[in-house]
Amino acid sequence: MSITHDPRLALIPGPVHDRLTAQSRKLGWYGWAGYAAPSVLDSVEFEYFAMRNQAALFDVSPMHKYRIRGPQADAMLNRMMCRDIGKIREGRVGYTIWCDEEGFLIDDGTLFHLGADDWRLCCQEPMLAWLQDAAWGFDVAIEDESHAVAGLSLQGPTSFAVLEAAGLGQPDQKPFDLRRVEDDLMISRTGFTGDLGYELWTPWAQAGALWDRLWAAGAHLGLRAIGYEAMNIARIEAGFVTAGVDFQPIHGTERLHRGLTPFEMSMDWLVDFDKGHFNGRRALLAKRRSPRSRLLKVDVEGFKPARDALVYHNRRREVGHVTSAVWSPTAKRNIALAHVATPYADRVPGNLWAEIYTAEEGRWDRRMARLTPLKTAFFRPDRARATPPARH
Amino acid sequence: MTRVTHVVIGGGLNGLVAAALLARAGKSVCLLEQSPTLGGMAAPGPDGSARMAHLLYNLSPRVARDLGFAGGRWPLSMTELPSVSLSPEGAHVVVRGARATLADGTPHAQAAAFATLHGRLTRWGALLRHLAEAAPPGGLDGGALSMQGLRQMIRLGRVGLGLRGMGKPEMRAFLQALLSNAHDLILDELVDGPLAGLLAADAVRGAAAGPRSPGTVFSLIYRMGHGGAASVPKGGMGALIDAVAGVARAAGARVETGAKVARILVEGDRVTGVETETGETIGAKAVLVSPGAQVACALAGHRHFDIEATNRLRGIRARGTAAKINLTLDGTPEIPGLPADLLGARLVLAPSTEAVELAFNPSKYRRMSDAPVIEAVMPGLTDDGQPKAHLSAIVQYAPHDLEGGWSDAARDRLLKITLDRLAQVAPGLPARVTAAEVITPDRIAGETGVPGGHWHHAEMALDQLLALRPANGIGRYALGPKGLFLCGASAHPGGDLMGLAGLNAARAALEAAS
Amino acid sequence: MALSSSYDAIIVGAGHNGLTAGAYLARAGRKVLIVEKNDWIGGAAVSRSLHPGWTYSNCSYVCSLLRREIVRDLDLPAHGLQVIPYEGGATFTKDGDYFAYYSDHDALRREMARHSPRDADAYARYSQAVLRQCRFIRPFLLRDAPDPASLRPRDLGEMAYLVRKAHGLGRKELGETMRFWTMSIGDFLDQHFENDLIKAHLAGSGIIGTGLGVYSPGTAYVLLHHYMGDIDGGIGAWGFARGGMGAISAAMGRAFEAAGGTILTGAGLDRFLVRDGRVTGVALEDGREFRAPVVASNMDVKRTFLTHLDASDLPEDFRRAVGRFKIRGSSAKLNIALDRMPEFPAAPPHASFLRGDMHVSTSLWELERAYDDWKAGRWSDAPYIDMLIPSQIDPTMAPVGGHMMTVFVQYAPYDLEADGVRSGANWTDEKRAALADKVIGRIEIACPDIRDRIRHVEVRTPLDIEREVGLTEGNIFQGELTFDQLFFNRPVPGWSQYDSPVKGLYLCGSSAHPGGGVMGAPGANAARAILRDTGGSGRMKGYAA
Repeated sequence: MSITHDPRLALIPGPVHDRLTAQSRKLGWYGWAGYAAPSVLDSVEFEYFAMRNQAALFDVSPMHKYRIRGPQADAMLNRMMCRDIGKIREGRVGYTIWCDEEGFLIDDGTLFHLGADDWRLCCQEPMLAWLQDAAWGFDVAIEDESHAVAGLSLQGPTSFAVLEAAGLGQPDQKPFDLRRVEDDLMISRTGFTGDLGYELWTPWAQAGALWDRLWAAGAHLGLRAIGYEAMNIARIEAGFVTAGVDFQPIHGTERLHRGLTPFEMSMDWLVDFDKGHFNGRRALLAKRRSPRSRLLKVDVEGFKPARDALVYHNRRREVGHVTSAVWSPTAKRNIALAHVATPYADRVPGNLWAEIYTAEEGRWDRRMARLTPLKTAFFRPDRARATPPARH
Repeated sequence: MTRVTHVVIGGGLNGLVAAALLARAGKSVCLLEQSPTLGGMAAPGPDGSARMAHLLYNLSPRVARDLGFAGGRWPLSMTELPSVSLSPEGAHVVVRGARATLADGTPHAQAAAFATLHGRLTRWGALLRHLAEAAPPGGLDGGALSMQGLRQMIRLGRVGLGLRGMGKPEMRAFLQALLSNAHDLILDELVDGPLAGLLAADAVRGAAAGPRSPGTVFSLIYRMGHGGAASVPKGGMGALIDAVAGVARAAGARVETGAKVARILVEGDRVTGVETETGETIGAKAVLVSPGAQVACALAGHRHFDIEATNRLRGIRARGTAAKINLTLDGTPEIPGLPADLLGARLVLAPSTEAVELAFNPSKYRRMSDAPVIEAVMPGLTDDGQPKAHLSAIVQYAPHDLEGGWSDAARDRLLKITLDRLAQVAPGLPARVTAAEVITPDRIAGETGVPGGHWHHAEMALDQLLALRPANGIGRYALGPKGLFLCGASAHPGGDLMGLAGLNAARAALEAAS
Repeated sequence: MALSSSYDAIIVGAGHNGLTAGAYLARAGRKVLIVEKNDWIGGAAVSRSLHPGWTYSNCSYVCSLLRREIVRDLDLPAHGLQVIPYEGGATFTKDGDYFAYYSDHDALRREMARHSPRDADAYARYSQAVLRQCRFIRPFLLRDAPDPASLRPRDLGEMAYLVRKAHGLGRKELGETMRFWTMSIGDFLDQHFENDLIKAHLAGSGIIGTGLGVYSPGTAYVLLHHYMGDIDGGIGAWGFARGGMGAISAAMGRAFEAAGGTILTGAGLDRFLVRDGRVTGVALEDGREFRAPVVASNMDVKRTFLTHLDASDLPEDFRRAVGRFKIRGSSAKLNIALDRMPEFPAAPPHASFLRGDMHVSTSLWELERAYDDWKAGRWSDAPYIDMLIPSQIDPTMAPVGGHMMTVFVQYAPYDLEADGVRSGANWTDEKRAALADKVIGRIEIACPDIRDRIRHVEVRTPLDIEREVGLTEGNIFQGELTFDQLFFNRPVPGWSQYDSPVKGLYLCGSSAHPGGGVMGAPGANAARAILRDTGGSGRMKGYAA
């Protein structure tokens, strides 16, 4: 028998892997687009509180990034995206979703309007082949920048102060504004936490230096490196969805009819039927009035997170399932995102219940917890939008 | 700005049929043909000869009826041609209907087996015709209880009854053969040779397929929808085109040649008209496009189509493999072993099924056949209005995407190969050639706008037939924004100068309008 | 072994399907005899020791299609079956590069991106499309194929099931399904990928065992036929049976015997005994006769009805239909004993893909040309090879340090052309050696030292496979997997449900629906048909019922 160790298998280091390794006490790694990414560095709890109370640094480099350039870039993107991208001005970032011809969600992401006829799409799923398909017949060039551009997400109440200390502060930068602050550094006031925060974009090879610069600047501002688990709590609090968790991207579904429309994702506001044709528009027009389910933000009775719970109407009829659930340490609420079949999703007040299994010290228990649908995010502080931003 | 209800792009047989039927249904119609001559693949040459397609064998009587011709019949004087499968060894085979003989009049050794096979294919062809004469089954847009749905159910029921009427054994044989390949079907019944080769050649004419390719039986059966006998109309193909154009004009349609469309106008996900290259705008509620879905998409703009739809358009296989060679001769060539009265027959050079398959091989690798399959007619000998000796030949395989491209040298080579091949049965022929026109698939594409210069506008393979023709999701004539339709041979039921694609498309457009 | 003179059922041929059918019948309480012409059981699922110390899976060589329902019903693991998945594969190029297929998602993505960033992305949609087809087809494997010309309740019921499933796809997906079933693997791959090497690597499954080229319509289905199996739920995964493919047959044999069945080896069939249109038993070549009201043939449909039955016992149209059944030899095989692991200079050290399936065809056009050679009655000048070294994973196949290599070869015709005549008789020893040399030359692309490593080679031409296993023309699927010979057309229209015009005589081999591969489904389905038709105490129990 030969030695069965193939170094090519499994995960490879990202651009700041050595910095993360230095911070990693728990040695907890997971695979993110093939890169070793930290699920936790030392403790989820304190990483989370750093993010909500001071500042946290999170490597988002494994995100897929694509450059779309050319005289017909706007037309090509508007045909691909559900929203009117004409409303994303130069120097702005927009959240966007795109669908297949049946109106089922392919992915969501952020679209950076870098300049005239020049865009960058940042998303969770590999999208090169789809972008190339979408570009057929248009005068645009698509470039995969996933491994060329690194991203560091700096989030939390002192994040602006950290930027200032690093000499990168832009007090007039509004949420979703994009600034080129140095030749090789762009900063967008964006993030996945619903709080004050920034994302910094730089060439792959310079990510380490940027990390060090921020790290030094944040020394007295409580800056902490964090892993995915802490970030995940924040994104649920903010009501953000994750591909593969809260929806199954249609290009990754083997089973039929598992796709979800924007309406089923409660993303009606991201669909603009008046802008002309876009991919899936004809199907969405037919489906807009008949969503099979809705994604709800729900407050869960009690204190046990409703992870993986089935949802019942009137405690009897199974009408959906929880996709993400967590105890919110900031809102002090038990919160969840749940897919609930229509019409039960739309009945107010809902008589919806989650069936939660708990295991406490070797004993399993089942309890029914009432769900209360909410309209807004669980956590939505004013400081997230204040411009100029506060320093703490 | 002119305003009509329907614009038809492309004045080939199907475009003309669609325009005529729409006009007869009371619509205001404008047909725009880019070339100076109407007819598309059936357009006559300057001297009235058949420039590309040279025979009719599947012209639909149903189209004649709907066009309102007297007695529901095509107003054409048709001469049915026997088929001769030429043998380089001299034992030419003559086929008249189901009857196969040798050129000297003696019965062919496999005449009985051939008659049985021919009879079966013809019966099956009649059955498939039911499917050809309407939009393909598979899409109950309006639900099973709509008029369209009911009609479709009735039609399918008729096919079902036809199947049942055959009796179980034949029904089973049909369902098996439908999916089979011509090579096996033919050689299960016949010894390989010119007779088998004739059927094999007919199964793959214009196709990027060889007799061994599964699905070729379907094309062969399709071809036999009206018995499979080839005819030439008196006055040539032009007579057919004139007849249909006449109906269109009489019904009030504006029919223009030399009018190239620059773009199809779309507003609010609905077609609003076309703009010609001369800048004229013609407003319309619907536009029917004959040359193909790729053309429709390019004219309307990709942004009006879903991404998956454009992907499928890109995937449509339309790789032309048939070239047309028109020879002017200074006299009638002799074919040793063939009586002079048969020189006017449909002459096919396909000595065996294997030979057809061998001819196909190089085309897969973007090369022309060394020993091509040829279907030739010498119309000057059958039509007394045309005393000039003329040989019209469809030559296969000459792939559209020839390695190195179709240069003049490549065209000369194809001509030489063709003449050499013909000389094997007619040694005196090359010396009689005074002029030659070589229309390779790239030229067919250039002249007609047909993608790939494909003889049938799109490959007639199982995955591009019926509801999948030319591609999944656009199998029922409508595509993209509201009011845009396909009406050419790339749509169901395909090429062969049936006129049915135009008829079905006109119906679909009328249904959408009502 | 105490033999009785009469049984409830006799099965002719101890291939994996015959054994499966026998085991189900025995488990239903029937008294079953299996007769096998060879001195060993297994048919084309065998492990043979032809060079001391080395074991060859000398026909079929990898496992995936064996239906999990059958494995559970017959409790094959309890009878010794262990199946281990393998890790990937590779296609080597002449210029020293390769494309490696990894089961590890990230490694595969990076490797694909090395050849084409676009194709790395496109792979997700490609595998989605294939897996959707797998999900669609899998339920049909253990069901009867309905006769569309019949109005019997069972046929109508199965037809309704088919229509319901098709309707459930939705219109777009139904269209994609119809396309998939009728298109070529070449066109399907062209639709998804741009890189020649990646396409060539993926295309192999579309032609293995098939008298079609990669651009022949219908080959996408052949690919599906190789993908619709699974190992432990991993659809499309392939693995090794520990001890070689004979381990499957051995486990089935033990399951059969444990249920009370009797196997008689070295017992070649002379003919089926028929009286008044009803089978009454079998007569063996050695003169012995056994009686049974039910006889199931594991032999292919031609051998069953044209060789071992009097023409007068069959309706003429049935005989003609069987005569037309296409069963073409198109593959050969080399089994090689290696003194140690050969070098793969292109591969990085310890590459996991060396433990998978390896190839050297680098474009679809090269594969298509290989088919053209076969059409003309020659073996391919550049044949497709599917090469594995299972001894890296299975320690029972070779002595420590030594290795066993299995090399499947596509295309090699049965009716080899020589001096204008095409005949199986043209397979002389010289031709056999020339083929082996050709194939070893292909292997050298990946491992240049292969000739120095070889201790023993078994060359199996289509003729050899026919002679030893009994598969007509050496066709590994007992009949082409073209759509005119699948589902209700398999083996012949009107007889897709295992029975035949001779009452009591059944087919239980791969000539019947759903076709070839070490799947066991035809055997299980035939057993179900037999039990249904013969009533009495027996009802098939289990997941395959």
